[in-house]
Amino acid sequence: MRERTAILLGLMAFFSCYSNAGSRKEVIPPAAAVSSREQETMRAEGEKRFYSNCARCHAAPHKFPPRMMTTIVRHMRVRATITDDDMKFILFYMTQ
Amino acid sequence: MYSVSTRAVSLRQSQRLLWGAAAFLIVWSAWARAQDSAIRPVPILTGSAGYFNNVVAGETQLTPVIMPVMLVPLGDQWLVESRGTFRAEFERSGSENAYGGKVEKELDYLQLDYIANPRVTVTAGRFLTPFGIYNERLYPIWIRDLQTTPLIFPIGTGSSDGVMVRGGLPLSSTINLNYATYFSAASEVPAFESQRNVGGRAGLFLTRPRVEVGGSWQKSLQGERSVAVGGHFAWQPPPIPLNFRLEYAHGYGGSGYWVEGAYRLSQIRKWNSVMRRMELVGRMQQFFAGEEEEASDDEYQLPHSNVQQPDVGLNYYFRDGLKASASYGRWLGRRDYNVWSVGVAYRFAVPLGSVKEQ
Repeated sequence: MRERTAILLGLMAFFSCYSNAGSRKEVIPPAAAVSSREQETMRAEGEKRFYSNCARCHAAPHKFPPRMMTTIVRHMRVRATITDDDMKFILFYMTQ
Repeated sequence: MYSVSTRAVSLRQSQRLLWGAAAFLIVWSAWARAQDSAIRPVPILTGSAGYFNNVVAGETQLTPVIMPVMLVPLGDQWLVESRGTFRAEFERSGSENAYGGKVEKELDYLQLDYIANPRVTVTAGRFLTPFGIYNERLYPIWIRDLQTTPLIFPIGTGSSDGVMVRGGLPLSSTINLNYATYFSAASEVPAFESQRNVGGRAGLFLTRPRVEVGGSWQKSLQGERSVAVGGHFAWQPPPIPLNFRLEYAHGYGGSGYWVEGAYRLSQIRKWNSVMRRMELVGRMQQFFAGEEEEASDDEYQLPHSNVQQPDVGLNYYFRDGLKASASYGRWLGRRDYNVWSVGVAYRFAVPLGSVKEQ
């Protein structure tokens, strides 16, 4: 029993580390960290991807505060199976 | 005897300790990841509410609907999400003038999502069955273009209790693949009813022409052990504010299709401030009842015989998340009648915590 529990713990620790390393987080580059030209490029790309993905089902929502938008985009990533890259650009667009 | 019982107690204590450590590891892991985020997500109460006045074959139905959605993000990779539906259809009964009826309450989904990596999300709990595009994407009343659901909607859809793996990934710079596959267990627990089945859906999205093509499959592992299949097509031509959608489904109770177009009048220059808020909708659908008459009964919520129904509608968007809608349809089956609907739908979103960035 003890061995089984130890194995379970080991697996969880491994899974935790693996999933942490394998995932790309919903990190938005802070506005100050990118140049205004890069910002504009990312915003335009985000807008394009928003209309390609989100606007297929619903009209553009007004922009919520970034902490709310992060939750909403995560929800939509699962619900609409949008790709990781699309999600990042859309999140950038919706929080600028 | 004494030593055996002491050993058992010691074993139980060490097991509790190990389980406690496991729980701590999970919570710490989620918390540690949360600290890494540039922006920490906040729990949200969102959803939609609406009120519709429907006239079906001359009988008036007053239909208030509330669909609250709870979103609770945990760390960077977890999300708990849930949606309930409270819907009433109040009708006049007998010679009384008063409207009456029951309020239907349903738990549409209560699921835990784990974003394992950029291409895979694992979901456990009660979730919307991924079959076609209507159930998961278009069902909320603030999203759907016509308030009446398609005739084939019950085929392969509803909610499932089990495990699902899903995700989206780019195959090239212009093609994305999305997929979902699941196993559902049979349940008769109130509010968690589901059927034992297995299935999946896959779609290709061509980003340049904004075309999505996909298919769905479901195999029942109980009862008649039937198979349901479906296909979907969606197109949003980039230069025109048009949404074109088509779905086909074939199941034990019958088969059919719906095809719908929604055109936003934003390109009309005259009275543009009003026109850009308006949307014209048209839908045609047909249902072909299954060979076994008893299959198209109330259990499947499908029509009892062949039906076709054209609909036209008009939506007016007052502002984001608030729209008025009106539609007219003609049910053409064993008997013909009109289906009118007029109402308003509203989407709300409220943070359940501070939205200040930390």
